Amino acid sequence: MRLRTIATLTSQAVRNLKRPTCMTTTVVVMACMLALSLFTLVAVNLTVIGRQLQAGVELRVFLLPDAGPDAVASLERSIRAIPGVSRISYVPKDEALRRLEAQLGDENGLFIEDMPYNPLPDSFDVSVRRADEAESIARRIQELEGVEDIVYGREMVRNLVGALRVMWAATGAIAVVVLVGASMVVANTIKLSVLAHNREIETMRLVGASDAFILFPFVVEGLLIGVIGAAVASLMVFAAYSLLIRWIGSAAPFLKLVADPAWLASAALSLVGFGAVVGLSGTIISVRRHLRVDVQDV
Amino acid sequence: MYGVTKVYPGDVVALDDVYLTVEKGDFVFIVGQSGAGKSTLLSLIYRGTVPTRGQVFVDGRNIVRLRRREVPLLRRKIGAIYQDFKLLPDRTVYDNVAFALEVIEAPPKDISRKVSQALEMVGLSGKATCLPDQLSGGEQQRVAIARAVVNDPLILVADEPTGNLDPETSNGIMALLSDVNCRGTTVIMATHNQAIVDRMRRRVVEIEAGRIVRDERQGTYCHEA
Repeated sequence: MRLRTIATLTSQAVRNLKRPTCMTTTVVVMACMLALSLFTLVAVNLTVIGRQLQAGVELRVFLLPDAGPDAVASLERSIRAIPGVSRISYVPKDEALRRLEAQLGDENGLFIEDMPYNPLPDSFDVSVRRADEAESIARRIQELEGVEDIVYGREMVRNLVGALRVMWAATGAIAVVVLVGASMVVANTIKLSVLAHNREIETMRLVGASDAFILFPFVVEGLLIGVIGAAVASLMVFAAYSLLIRWIGSAAPFLKLVADPAWLASAALSLVGFGAVVGLSGTIISVRRHLRVDVQDV
Repeated sequence: MYGVTKVYPGDVVALDDVYLTVEKGDFVFIVGQSGAGKSTLLSLIYRGTVPTRGQVFVDGRNIVRLRRREVPLLRRKIGAIYQDFKLLPDRTVYDNVAFALEVIEAPPKDISRKVSQALEMVGLSGKATCLPDQLSGGEQQRVAIARAVVNDPLILVADEPTGNLDPETSNGIMALLSDVNCRGTTVIMATHNQAIVDRMRRRVVEIEAGRIVRDERQGTYCHEA
């Protein structure tokens, strides 16, 4: 197809966009994209916060009282060899008592001075790379000789991992619903557009227009609906998100939201790309059903 | 056409074992009652439909076996005009005629020249900027003829082109079609208009219930005993 023809057909598709049905569909696509982008942003930020929390997941491994230096060294080697363990440090019982004293503060720490002996055992502080591996690592450590008990925020880790899974599953489901739902809406709009141009299409066929020539304006129309809807949604969401980042930065500086400009730009572009896919899918559905009629129907 | 039969859904037989040969440059009237199969016969020529059985050759090529993408190339060799004109109501006379060249991506210079020539031929140069609604029925049909011939087709297929027109306007349209024929285009026209057929004395093919029952050189509308 020649460039001049492409330009002419594209301008025809742009003119079609001014029809009320196209406007409405663009708004519907925009609303779907808004929902999708909001869910994605929440899921991404929860993941980042989750990773920060996961990095803080630490197992405290208490040793049996009679473990000698060789047994401690051997145990340390065994724990370090477990996949998923990122760091391990030995905490002798005296150090543990000092930490406890510091945690309790001056007033509450007084009773420690009255204790006849140090009741705390030697221990290891073990950091894990991923929170969802903490439970299995704890089980393996528990099986090692010389270990008395292991303490870590089991429930917190379970809840965190579960919440992230649900969040990503919901985001995936929303993406599928948006893809299918918005595509169907676009398909209906293109169908109306095809019907509105029925006479023109019939004449085109009779004077020898190729399928590509006939289909092109509808493909461009569907593509533009998807891209414009997604672009407007993306502008709205990321403008609001920028304001939120600024506000959170001053109101709750401990909350670190994703604010990398390169990531935000690529997310916005991905959303526009997704809009293009939605628009094209809708057009293909519609065109297959309503335009590519068999020759007998002409 | 060789042994062409066309059966529509519901076992409606539109054409039944039809054999017909039309020479290049011929002018043929297809006559017969409503529902006899005239429109189906014309439709087979530009592959608006395909036969249930039999073969259709146009310009030496069997068009029944054409691939989908080859159909537009066939239609560019065939001009078609209809009783209801099939003009685009939101486009001017000029744009309606130019449309036939735009869809085949003709160069702009050629479009301008050929459209002007076609409008001059049908006597509508002065109405190039009018919309179809602003024209009379006869003028609209002349626009349709201009659109059909602007691409210099080998064949002009006309399905009752004077069906909605008064006798005087019909004569004007027939004069135009004769003119097109004189320039070398084969014209195949389905009609109910007895006066025109009897006056022009061209080849007449009569169809009855899907079968060719008469094929006369310099014939008349009704069979002369």
